[in-house]
Amino acid sequence: MQQGMTRSRFRMSEDRQALLGALILIALLPFLFGMIPIKGLLTLLPVAWWPALGLTVENAEALQIAVANWKPFLEWGTWRFLALGLAMTVAVSLVSIVLSLPLATLAALARLSSHSYVRWPTIAGIEIIRAFPVLILIFYVFTQFSRVAEVTGSSLLKSNNVTLAVIIALTLYTTVVNAETIRAGILSLDKGQTEAARSLGLSYAQALRLVILPQTFRRILPPLIAQFVTLVKDTSLGAIIGLLELYHRGQILYQYYRNPLETLWVVAVIYFLVNYALGQSAQRIERRFSGSRRIASQVSLEP
Amino acid sequence: MNAESWNLLLRIGLITTAGLSIAAGLISLVLGTVIGIFRVSPVGPLRVLASGYVEFFRNIPLLICLAFIFYGLPKAGITFPIFEAGVIGLSVYTAAFVAEVVRAGLQSIGHGQIEAGRALGLSYIQMLRLVLLPQVFGMVIPPLGTVFIALVKNTSVASAIVVPELMYQAEVIAGRYFYPNVFLIAGFMYLIITLPLALLVNVMEKRSQIGHRR
Repeated sequence: MQQGMTRSRFRMSEDRQALLGALILIALLPFLFGMIPIKGLLTLLPVAWWPALGLTVENAEALQIAVANWKPFLEWGTWRFLALGLAMTVAVSLVSIVLSLPLATLAALARLSSHSYVRWPTIAGIEIIRAFPVLILIFYVFTQFSRVAEVTGSSLLKSNNVTLAVIIALTLYTTVVNAETIRAGILSLDKGQTEAARSLGLSYAQALRLVILPQTFRRILPPLIAQFVTLVKDTSLGAIIGLLELYHRGQILYQYYRNPLETLWVVAVIYFLVNYALGQSAQRIERRFSGSRRIASQVSLEP
Repeated sequence: MNAESWNLLLRIGLITTAGLSIAAGLISLVLGTVIGIFRVSPVGPLRVLASGYVEFFRNIPLLICLAFIFYGLPKAGITFPIFEAGVIGLSVYTAAFVAEVVRAGLQSIGHGQIEAGRALGLSYIQMLRLVLLPQVFGMVIPPLGTVFIALVKNTSVASAIVVPELMYQAEVIAGRYFYPNVFLIAGFMYLIITLPLALLVNVMEKRSQIGHRR
């Protein structure tokens, strides 16, 4: 038991254990929910053996249904269809996080400002947006579009631009989360850094640009990547208003082929592989700059 | 439709959201604790499967869990009513995050305690029950609070499988009566549940700090 607690005897690293376990679970799911019928597979044996094994024609039919359900994934077109969705997912996530970084930096600095008339509105804004479910933000932004379009006559908004709505909503949410991360990063720096920079004759802006922010960003890279994983997951919410990303394309596939179990399993595995790879890269960076461990684990805990 | 029936819809939504949150919170607490214990268990296969569970559900969107249960499982002959499907999907997903918190708590307890427990002749189960878990639960309340606040916000995703909760009611009102600002109102209504939770976490955090100092 003690070995279990201290994990000294088991040689496999914790990461490897987690990956192995996840792959085992992924492999078990199709058998658990009849996507690969075991009895159906046994019907491939000679018919004379069926009574002995307790097999009936129904089992053979189940196998045929399973084959039909998996068949779309033997076609190149299906994978291309899903790959386009993955591209949309990654593109929307990437644009959102890139847009959020300058905004989040400003918000973090405003929150750390010594002027209370800057600080308090920022704190209120950050806390309120952070308390909102992402889906509410997406719907709010999306429904405001038509209203704004009416006033401004903008054709960009009039076409019910789902992609833009999702990007704006996710950018807003990510800005707020990243602002907190950046603030924590700035606060985690030694105060002497600012003092040294200032005493060298740098202005506040120069000290920020040349000394504080470069160090902060290097430190918070792992939690930023963790946030990117969250973002990739949250992009799936865009499907609800019709964004053609990975999950939505999966939905279209399974509504056409009527194989929700198989398609959702495939889509889940794609999400898992992408996000697992991202998480691993975050950990690798984290190990390199071990000073940032505390901030990273704090942020990645949030579902 | 007048303001009164809006009120009614939103109130029904709030109650459903609260019900979803409480049910999924309790189930995920139990499931997550078990998985968290398995993650540090001496039995290798349990440890591998529990870590795999956490890794898998942490990396897939909640929407897929819910869709798999609500749209997928009926194909396998397993059908749940709408609300139960929402509860199960949310519980299964949140349990992964609870397990992470419980594991971190268990691993933060010093080896001295485990050795002392062993020296007293406690079995593994006894040790968990009498020595480790009582300490862990005091310790993990603040991070668990964060997980549960996220859970309350995540219940909004259940609107995608037509659970009639707050988000769903807001969609109904916005769609039928063209009143998009209802999403802002609904957003603030989530605060009714999350704010007390956040305050509770704050109080518990302070109290546990005082306890440590003593």
